[in-house]
Amino acid sequence: MAPRTEPRLAPRQRRRISRAVQYAVAAAAVLAVALLADWGRIADSFLRLDIAADMFPDVWTAFWNTIVYTLFAFAFGMLVGVPVALMRVSAFGPYRWFAACYVEVFRGLPALLVLFLVGFGVPQAFPGLQYPGGVYGQVAIGLGLTSSAYIAESVRAGIQAVPKGQIEAARSLGMSHTRTMVTVVLPQALRIVIPPLTNELVMLTKDSSLVFVLGVTAATMELSKFARNELTSEANATPLLVGGLLYLLLTVPLSMLARRLEKRGDAR
Amino acid sequence: MNESTGDAPLVRIRGLRKRFGDNEVLRGIDLDIAEGEVVCLIGPSGSGKSTLLRCVNLLEEPTEGAIAAAGHDMTGPDADLDAARRDIGMVFQHFNLFSHLSILDNVTIAQRRVRKTPRARAEADARRLLAEVGIEGKERARPAQLSGGQQQRVAIARALAMRPRLMLFDEPTSALDPELVGEVLSVMKRLAAGGMTMLVVTHEMSFAREVADRVVFLDGGVIVESGPPAEVLAAPKTERARGFLHRVLHPVD
Repeated sequence: MAPRTEPRLAPRQRRRISRAVQYAVAAAAVLAVALLADWGRIADSFLRLDIAADMFPDVWTAFWNTIVYTLFAFAFGMLVGVPVALMRVSAFGPYRWFAACYVEVFRGLPALLVLFLVGFGVPQAFPGLQYPGGVYGQVAIGLGLTSSAYIAESVRAGIQAVPKGQIEAARSLGMSHTRTMVTVVLPQALRIVIPPLTNELVMLTKDSSLVFVLGVTAATMELSKFARNELTSEANATPLLVGGLLYLLLTVPLSMLARRLEKRGDAR
Repeated sequence: MNESTGDAPLVRIRGLRKRFGDNEVLRGIDLDIAEGEVVCLIGPSGSGKSTLLRCVNLLEEPTEGAIAAAGHDMTGPDADLDAARRDIGMVFQHFNLFSHLSILDNVTIAQRRVRKTPRARAEADARRLLAEVGIEGKERARPAQLSGGQQQRVAIARALAMRPRLMLFDEPTSALDPELVGEVLSVMKRLAAGGMTMLVVTHEMSFAREVADRVVFLDGGVIVESGPPAEVLAAPKTERARGFLHRVLHPVD
C-alpha cells in the first residue's frame, strides 16, 4: 500500500474545523426558522399585547395563589418528610418498615390521584371532616403527601452522606442518639440536600397547576387555570405565554438562590 | 454510683476480646491505668490498638470482657454510656470537628446541649480552653478554614470542655503534615504535665519516650510488652517489639 501523501491535520486544527462546522449548522438552522416562519401569524397567536395587558392585574391573584399553594405543600412535605427520613434510618425495625411503605406508596401514586383522594375520597369516607384552611389545607396535604415521599428519600440520602466521624465525635462527647441527630447530623444533611430540595420546590411549583381538579373559584385559582381560562375566552395563546413567563419568574430565581446556598456550603 | 475510690485504677480492662466477623482483633487484653498516668499504645498497623482505645468508651462494643473507666462500669447491664462518655474525652485521627459549626460552637455545643451550661459560661470556658491550646481570634471561623494542626488543637479543647477525667487519643497526629505535628504534641505534653490521665495510640516514639509513664506494645491483638518507655522503647525484651521499633525508627534500612 502506498504511504499517505497528504499531510494529516493536527488534532487542534481538526477541533477548530469541527467547531466551525457546528457553528455553521446552528446558524443555518436559526436562519431557516427566521426566514420560513410566518412571524405575523406567530405574533398574532402569542404576542397580542392587548390581551396580555387585559390579564393584569387579575393574574397577580393567580400568581400569588401559585406561590401559596407551593409553599404550603412544601411546608407539609418537610414537616412529614423529615420525620419519615429519620424513621427510615432508625434502628427500630417497625419505624423503618413503615417509612419504606410510606415512601413507596406516595412516590408511586400520581400526584393527581392523591389530590383527588384528599379532595374527594377522604371527605366522602369521613363526612363532616373539614380541612384546616379550606382549599389551602386540601392542597397542602394533597400535594404535600407526594412531595413528602420525595423529600424523605432526599433527606435520607443526606443523612447517610454525613461522615461517620461526625457521629462518633458527637457520641464521644456524651450526646445521646437523638441529640446527635438533631444537633449534628440533620443540620449537615439538610445542607447536603439543598439541591434536590430545590428541585422538589420547582416541581411543586409546577404541580400546583393540578389544583384545578379540586374546583377553584376566581379567588383560589392558580396560574395555569387562570391562563387556560383566558385562552378559552380570548381564543388566543398569548395568556399561555404570559403564564409561562410568570412560572419562570418563580423558578429561575429559585434555582439561582439554590446555587448561592450551595456555594456558601462549599466555602465551609 | 460507680465513683472510683482513691487507689482504684481509672481504667480497668479485663479479658477484652473483639471480633469483627471471623477476624479476632483483640484476643484477651488486661490493662489498668492509674489516675494521672499517661499510657502510650504502640504497635504495627492492624495490631488492634485503635480498636482497644475505641472499646474504652464503647464506640466499639467488646465481644467479651469487662471495662470500667472514669468511674463508670462501661460493660455492665445498666451502663449509661452517654453519662460515662461525658467523663471520657476523645480525640480522633481526622479531628472530626463539626463542619457546620463555628470553632466557638464546636467547643461549646456539648456543654450547652448535654450539660445544659448557660451559653455565656460555656463560651467563657471555651475561650479559656482555646487560649490554652493556642487558638485565638478564630472563634467565628469554620473548621475547614483552619490548618490540620489548628483543627486538632480545637478538637482537644472541645473534648476538654466537658471536663473529662480521662482523655483518649486515636493517632492524633497521623493525619497532619510533619511540620504541624509539634504544635499538637506540645499541647498534649502540657495536658499530661497538668495531671490528665491519658491513653494515646501513637506512632510518635519521641513523644512516647518523653511523656509516657508507660508504653504498651500491642501485636496480633495481645499485649506483648508493657513498661516504662526506657525499657520498652530502649531495650525491648521481645523479638516482635525489637523488629517493630527498628522498622519505625529506621524505616529505610
